[in-house]
Amino acid sequence: MSDKKPIIPPNGEGISNGTRRDFIKQTTVLTAVAMAPGTVVKAASDHIDEQIAAVFEKMPLKMEVNGKLQSLSVEPRSTLLDILREQLDLTGTKKGCDHGQCGACTVHVDGDRVNSCLTLGVMVNGKKVTTIEGLAKGEELHPMQEAFLKHDGFQCGYCTPGQIMSAVACIREGHANSEGEIREYMSGNICRCGAYPNIVNAIQEVKAGGKTV
Amino acid sequence: METLTKQAIPTSADGMSRVDGRAKVTGAAKYSAEYNQPNMAYAVLVGSTITKGTVATIDTKAASAAPGVLAVLTYLNSPKVPGHIPTKAQKPGSKSGPLKVFYDNKVLYNGQPIAMVVADTFERAQYGASLVKATYNKEPHDTKPPKNITQGVGAWGGKDFTKGTVDAWKTAPIKLEQEYTHPSDVHNPMELHAIIARWDAPDKLTVWDKTQGTQATRDDIAKAFKLKKEDVQVNSQYVGGAFGSALQVWPHEVAAILGAQVVKRPVKLVLSRPDMFTSVGYRPYTWQKIGIGATADGKLVGITHEAVGQTSTFEDFAEGPINTSKGLYASPNITTRYKLLSLDVNTPTWMRGPGEATGAFALESALDELSYALKMDPIDLRMKNYAKNDPDNGKEYSSKFLDEAYAMGAAQIGWENRQAEPRAASQNGWLVGYGMAGGMFGAYRDVAVIKAIMKADGTLTIQSAVSDIGPGTGTAMTIIAANKMGIDAGKIKFEMGDSSLPDAPMQGGSATVSAVGSAVHDACTVLKEKFQKLMGNGGTDKPDYVKILKDNNLPSLEVLTKSQPGPDNQKYSMQSWSVHFVKVLVHTATGVVKIDKVACVADCGKIISPKTARSQVVGGAIGGIGMALMEEGIIDHRYGRYVNNNFADYHVPVSADIPQIDAMFVNKPDPYINPIGAKGMAEIALIGMAPAVANAVYNATGKRVRDLPITPDKLI
Amino acid sequence: MKQFQYVRPASQAAVLDAIAKPGSKIIAGGTNLVDLMKKGVMSPDKLVDINSLPLNTINTSPNGLHIGALTLNSVLSENSLVLDKHPLLSMALKAGASPQLRNMATVGGNMMQRTRCAYFYDTTMPCNKRTPGTGCGAMGGYNRMHAIFGSSPQCIAVHPSDMCVALAALGATVTIAGKKGERHIPFTEFHRLPGEHPEMDNHLATGEMILGVDIPDNNFSKNSYYLKVRDRQSYAFALVSVAAALDIQGGVIKEARLAMGGVAHKPWRLFDVEKFLAGKAPTEENFNKAAQLAMQGAKAYEYNAFKLKLAPATIAEALKHAGGLA
Repeated sequence: MSDKKPIIPPNGEGISNGTRRDFIKQTTVLTAVAMAPGTVVKAASDHIDEQIAAVFEKMPLKMEVNGKLQSLSVEPRSTLLDILREQLDLTGTKKGCDHGQCGACTVHVDGDRVNSCLTLGVMVNGKKVTTIEGLAKGEELHPMQEAFLKHDGFQCGYCTPGQIMSAVACIREGHANSEGEIREYMSGNICRCGAYPNIVNAIQEVKAGGKTV
Repeated sequence: METLTKQAIPTSADGMSRVDGRAKVTGAAKYSAEYNQPNMAYAVLVGSTITKGTVATIDTKAASAAPGVLAVLTYLNSPKVPGHIPTKAQKPGSKSGPLKVFYDNKVLYNGQPIAMVVADTFERAQYGASLVKATYNKEPHDTKPPKNITQGVGAWGGKDFTKGTVDAWKTAPIKLEQEYTHPSDVHNPMELHAIIARWDAPDKLTVWDKTQGTQATRDDIAKAFKLKKEDVQVNSQYVGGAFGSALQVWPHEVAAILGAQVVKRPVKLVLSRPDMFTSVGYRPYTWQKIGIGATADGKLVGITHEAVGQTSTFEDFAEGPINTSKGLYASPNITTRYKLLSLDVNTPTWMRGPGEATGAFALESALDELSYALKMDPIDLRMKNYAKNDPDNGKEYSSKFLDEAYAMGAAQIGWENRQAEPRAASQNGWLVGYGMAGGMFGAYRDVAVIKAIMKADGTLTIQSAVSDIGPGTGTAMTIIAANKMGIDAGKIKFEMGDSSLPDAPMQGGSATVSAVGSAVHDACTVLKEKFQKLMGNGGTDKPDYVKILKDNNLPSLEVLTKSQPGPDNQKYSMQSWSVHFVKVLVHTATGVVKIDKVACVADCGKIISPKTARSQVVGGAIGGIGMALMEEGIIDHRYGRYVNNNFADYHVPVSADIPQIDAMFVNKPDPYINPIGAKGMAEIALIGMAPAVANAVYNATGKRVRDLPITPDKLI
Repeated sequence: MKQFQYVRPASQAAVLDAIAKPGSKIIAGGTNLVDLMKKGVMSPDKLVDINSLPLNTINTSPNGLHIGALTLNSVLSENSLVLDKHPLLSMALKAGASPQLRNMATVGGNMMQRTRCAYFYDTTMPCNKRTPGTGCGAMGGYNRMHAIFGSSPQCIAVHPSDMCVALAALGATVTIAGKKGERHIPFTEFHRLPGEHPEMDNHLATGEMILGVDIPDNNFSKNSYYLKVRDRQSYAFALVSVAAALDIQGGVIKEARLAMGGVAHKPWRLFDVEKFLAGKAPTEENFNKAAQLAMQGAKAYEYNAFKLKLAPATIAEALKHAGGLA
């Protein structure tokens, strides 16, 4: 394998454990292409680079999600959001725009809030991801979750996981010192039902409670 | 003005928290796209890039050969939808009706689905979709409302209405006539419309679908695919907002079902945010003209309200922009005219406060303009023309306390601080203005069936097919049941969002609590009576359900109750009312508008669930602020294509735009509409908010903006 | 999005090797690049992740304040040196995007971000910037957000950054690395006007990368202000924004700095207006005159004529804030 590198893109130095796909799988696919009937070969040959790349361009991704180590094989183009929702079945993180324009996909990466829809999965390699599913301690809700319940910080609930992840970060960052500051620092999360004042109230209550979030 | 007294206003923490709140704050609540099925495939739509014409060629070769692609559907190879009425069979001259997806090569609007790529992963489907290339035979299109909009308007939105003398406002001593426009606004719920379609057998289908009515969707799908209703299962457990966009079955839902048929695998289709602008309706562009006249002391002489609303070339969509003028004020003469303008666009649909929200912007702006012409307080003008009976049909109202709502709102906003002259108050470089406006919306009650099951452990399960788009249906139902049965809310489980459950209407028109809530009330009444009978001697008012079941050796006791409106629903005019008060700050140099303070009062009968009701009013007000200040779907008419079909360019309010909003209720039960005394509130929460903002902006600046939205460029 | 190769080199030399070919693109935060790749506007064959490089430093240097290209927008906006020496930069950063995006976006990436022009973003529309030779969709189209200065018949797009407006005003220098070594260019000369080649946003050549920016020390910290006018209060691109910085000594403006965002293909530095203000008193009258002077050569299109009024109003307002009059 190692002396026939051209077909396979070199692995990034930053990615640990340079192993790609095992040899057997590669040869299986190549053999399948070679032995397929004429029409299939024709179709495949038009996009042969693509076909081969599709198999080989998956990369290993190791990340800790909600305290659990996940070892995956992903396409570099897969976003953290799609990996969470479609591969790990962690559907609490929402897709609202897929372009960093709504905040529904907000998660914490190494403790900082980010838009998971604009985060390539491969770039989270070796990092810790916290989603809404990882916020509560078993049955015990996180104080922010409790406060959202109490102050009705949502209606339909779809933006809620992103709002809560953002709200927790808002306090951790030290941006919850006044109503105005909270509003500004929560403006990356759109709520179409219009729960903003309730969300602000929830954050103020948690902030005033003084608990470590 | 009467003396105003300030009342304690509800806070966000008052009342029972949502029964589904825990699921929503933990991420456990699952929406339609989140029921991943084994062996599921992913579908992505390809939209037309022209606005009108036909597809000449469509090259799907590259897409079909792309890795992971399982199928590419177009009109050339798609299975037929058996329920599609052939265009040839339709009446000549009539519109062809809802878009028949992948039916033929006709392009009726820009972004119309012309192909769909199904692949084994989302990424591969999306890439495959980018490889589909079409060529077209273009025809000239028209997406732009003409300047002389009333000319050449073909279709009618209903008969002209006249009460008294036609256009009598013209004879009044104080009068004005103005035009108002409302752009197309897009629902843009946070959840993208999504469906997972799974064929369980060639004649049996299960879908997880974003819908406001599981059974309406079931019926429409059954009709389209010629299936038995009982062979179509629609699940819509959680709906991430809709505001009207999920009141009907759209082409993408049919497409996903077709896709699942072709690849013989469950198929998930999630619309993109740009798709949301062209696939699931919108509030239509509407032009309006109001002529209004009054005597010098403010008594209305007449109102004439004309409206022209945008629709598509293939489907008529009419709503009620002129309704508010028929019913909000006691004018002796009322004339309304409403027409539709057909353009090469996708078809609009109901959006929160459909028609009325648009109409109230015109009427309540005009009322405000009239108040300045009369030098009269806007509230006094409204009270002077307070309708005690429905001006439309003369019926008595089932209940109306709008006058109390005016007083409550005025007290809360500090109306006494309003300057009668515009541009008379400022602070720190910001002009200060106050405005108010109201709204109304019909209060309805539909038929609903409820199954209520009391189990041996003392838990009560209530079932309804209704879906919940966010207002808190389950919470309200639980409260009704808890009160009726005299048990703790924690013992009640409300099951919903499943078409196989007992019949419920769609969640629309602010009528869910009235219909389903009444059915819960009735079912619990019957169930309780059953227990009381089992006790003998008429029983007590607080039966011990667990003991009775045990004593009678019963595992459970259940009732299935149908609940429907009575003669009173015809006898009375039933309306919900609202009034919104707004204080704005307008920056003199840059035209930036800040909403400083809001007070909203709803008169919608008895409040069942204080916490969620308050949130609905707050949310409606915020929707109205968006409509007033920033929302506008913009099409480049040269291409007939949206140029702001995303959340960065189509602005909706963010947290920084919104102050605390004081939401209040008159909270007096309506004695006639239903046994629980509750009327709808979702629509009225928004209706009237946009004109309240526009009126406040006028009070602050002396500039009357009659074309929404009120962006900074219109104020400098 | 098409498939691409992803690498994460560990050294600057390896990055420079990896980006030598035209199909390669550097990715840092990805907030703009991934967005554009999803839309099919950009489709690199290879992404070169530079996050392993030690370029996220903020430190004082003989040249003033050095900011590494990988410094996050959020970190930079809260950095004590920045807050102390260049509060204007912090204000501009905080006016941009959202907290989540600022947690991802880097200084270098912010400089490289592309226009928000709708015609650029929609691959079915004409756009000379995206696909040279196809025409400018915005010119005769919906151009409310577009340029009033420095546009060409080829392109009327604006640069969307807030941070860059402040850095232009503050006279920063950009350090660029290429195979031939490092070079330094004034920030105001990093971005370019569209001219005949709107496809080029800036003067970074293929195979080059941004290492960082340096802001020279100044006396503006007490009298600076960033004012952004937009359609909503937060999380929106500027209709017009203004970075104003004044060095006021003894009641006289010793030096003024002024730059605008949302009006041109690059941060629009107003050198002439700065000259006009130098030596004058910080009065409302002078600020209004300066604002009018700034509009020389402005040209509006069908939907952005309001900017001819809004821009000077915003300049005057920003100057008033900077000068302590508001």
